[in-house]
Amino acid sequence: MLTLEDYLTAFVGSLTAHAALAVYLFVMMDVRGWRILKKLPALLLSPLAASLLQVGLYVLIPGHVLVRYYISSFAVLLMCTFWARWAWRTEFWRAFSAVCMGGVFQVSTSCLSQILLLNSELRFTVVVYLVVVPISALLLHRLRFGRWFRFLLEEGFGQCRTALFLFALEAAMETFLILQAGIQPEYLGPYFMLVLAMAALEAGLVIHLAQRLDAARKAAAQQDVIAQQQLYERDLEAIRQEVRAFRHDYKNLLAGLSEQADEGELDQLRAALSELDAGFDRRIGEKIQASTQIGNVRVPQVRSLLLSKLAAMGKQGINCRLEVLYPVERIGMDPWDFTRCLGILLDNAAEAALETDTPWVEIILLPQKGRLSLRISNPYAGTINPDKIWTESFSTKGEGRGLGLPSYQRMLADYPHAAASTSWADGVFVQELTVEEKA
Amino acid sequence: MIPIYLCDDEESVRHQLKTALEWKIFMENYDMKVVCAASAAQELLETAQDTRRGVYFLDVDLKDGAWDGFTLGRELRRRDPHGTLVYITSYGDLAWKTFQYHLEAFDYIVKEGEQTGPAITRCLEAVHARLLDERHDPAEMFSLRTGDETRHIPLAGILFFEAAPKAHHVYLHTADSRLDFVGSLNELEKELDGRFVRVHRSFLAAWDKIEAVDGKGNQVRVGGRMCLLSRTGKAELKKKLRGSF
Repeated sequence: MLTLEDYLTAFVGSLTAHAALAVYLFVMMDVRGWRILKKLPALLLSPLAASLLQVGLYVLIPGHVLVRYYISSFAVLLMCTFWARWAWRTEFWRAFSAVCMGGVFQVSTSCLSQILLLNSELRFTVVVYLVVVPISALLLHRLRFGRWFRFLLEEGFGQCRTALFLFALEAAMETFLILQAGIQPEYLGPYFMLVLAMAALEAGLVIHLAQRLDAARKAAAQQDVIAQQQLYERDLEAIRQEVRAFRHDYKNLLAGLSEQADEGELDQLRAALSELDAGFDRRIGEKIQASTQIGNVRVPQVRSLLLSKLAAMGKQGINCRLEVLYPVERIGMDPWDFTRCLGILLDNAAEAALETDTPWVEIILLPQKGRLSLRISNPYAGTINPDKIWTESFSTKGEGRGLGLPSYQRMLADYPHAAASTSWADGVFVQELTVEEKA
Repeated sequence: MIPIYLCDDEESVRHQLKTALEWKIFMENYDMKVVCAASAAQELLETAQDTRRGVYFLDVDLKDGAWDGFTLGRELRRRDPHGTLVYITSYGDLAWKTFQYHLEAFDYIVKEGEQTGPAITRCLEAVHARLLDERHDPAEMFSLRTGDETRHIPLAGILFFEAAPKAHHVYLHTADSRLDFVGSLNELEKELDGRFVRVHRSFLAAWDKIEAVDGKGNQVRVGGRMCLLSRTGKAELKKKLRGSF
């Protein structure tokens, strides 16, 4: 028969498990989000509901221990997912993945505490948790597990698949934990060690996958760099050719001019001179302008991205302007992260600009005194709801557009020296990003 | 009197500019005077030491040691935040937008032989008109500092400040922008004493923009936008409301 004491034990057990899960979630999702702490009390509902569910299931189907265990575990998983989704204002699959991963860690924590308790008289699991959870959380934090984990879940990389994969891992872990009932006491020690090793391997696997993904992306980008560099060189070659042709022309022109000067035809002379000036600007000036600006970008990843985006926007009929007054040698953040930020902003700008009659995008990069400013502006059609721009998947036009901004913000969260401002006055949308080099 | 400064390393351009400007000032009887036509940045900086609200015509392609058109403009902007910067260039392809956004440069003129004179005259007219406008309506500004660049935002346009999720960062909200800067709400509250109310730990709202407290009483509408309202914030509002009668 179920007593109140049993119920309380189950509740306390569930509560500690939830607390551990919350700590791991915190490590994985965003360590700096201290405001999440305010939403923590709501998580208390989950153990309450879980233990009530367990009682209910016990009454309904007293026999099937495993079935009951799975149902209640899954319910807890779902409840925690909804809490995480609400607390971090993120999509379902992200939250689900994080909770599954947290579940794996929580299971391994309980295994570890069982090992520590195996040969002792101590019956207070809570005390062991208090020691084990912070230490392991700190370890994960030092391993930058959260960064890799978030990276793995960036949109556009099969979030749903990753989530289901993590769910399978979590289910396997839970099954292992269940199996302990059938293990003979003298093998419990090695058994728990095995489970622990599995959890460590899983964490390693996640990091490894994220790193592979990162490496693949970088390799693809590198290919891009090479291709773009070649394009750039072709541009320079074209300028060289033009200059040669111009040199030939201008010798002829000069000959004509000196003739006119000899004959004293001042008006014609003046006209010919201005023609010469305009001709130079038209033929070479523009190209030189564009290539000096892009040539000032000395960070290869950024230059390559700019070249490819400028080319793509040019094809779409967007009028682009790039200004880079001084050479950009370094950036106060990981160049790949900066490139991704730039990519998101440019994609959004191009998308919004294309909805207007005269699409244009303007990019200004200005490095000065240990600080780099980026300013991207574009016209937009429609209205902007300032309360919604920065939340998930908002766009002026329907679902699935403007997806990048939240991920842009998440990326910047790792950089305390970066500040991102936005404005939308007079039909022009402006994104500004200033990155200070760390003092 | 509004002082006008010139800086160009070409003697002929300086002469042309000075003549055009002085002629226009004389014709229109503007309260302006060309006080300095410098050939180098250092010379200009020394003469313009304590000038406030001056008008500066600067050569973009200036080459003078560490100074170029941009850095000279930045230094002048630092010393004379409300001055007017006009740039002169021999190429039409200068990075004008950079000057416009980072130095709040007013205009630029392309050197085109005899066309330069009339262009200068038109520009001076526009500068004069703007300065007149400003005298009528000197708006109070909030200075936003990022590094050594300062941005001025009309105090009357600010709806509220919000603590950003990132530590030590604050968002400044106006009707059409959200600006991110390093700061703290506590310090802002002190600095803007009385005109802004701390309605919530994370929100500092402009007192004259507060429109309504919503039904449940945990949000407050500020200039059409929603801010969180805490219990202490509510008490603060009530206190302020009593004080204003």
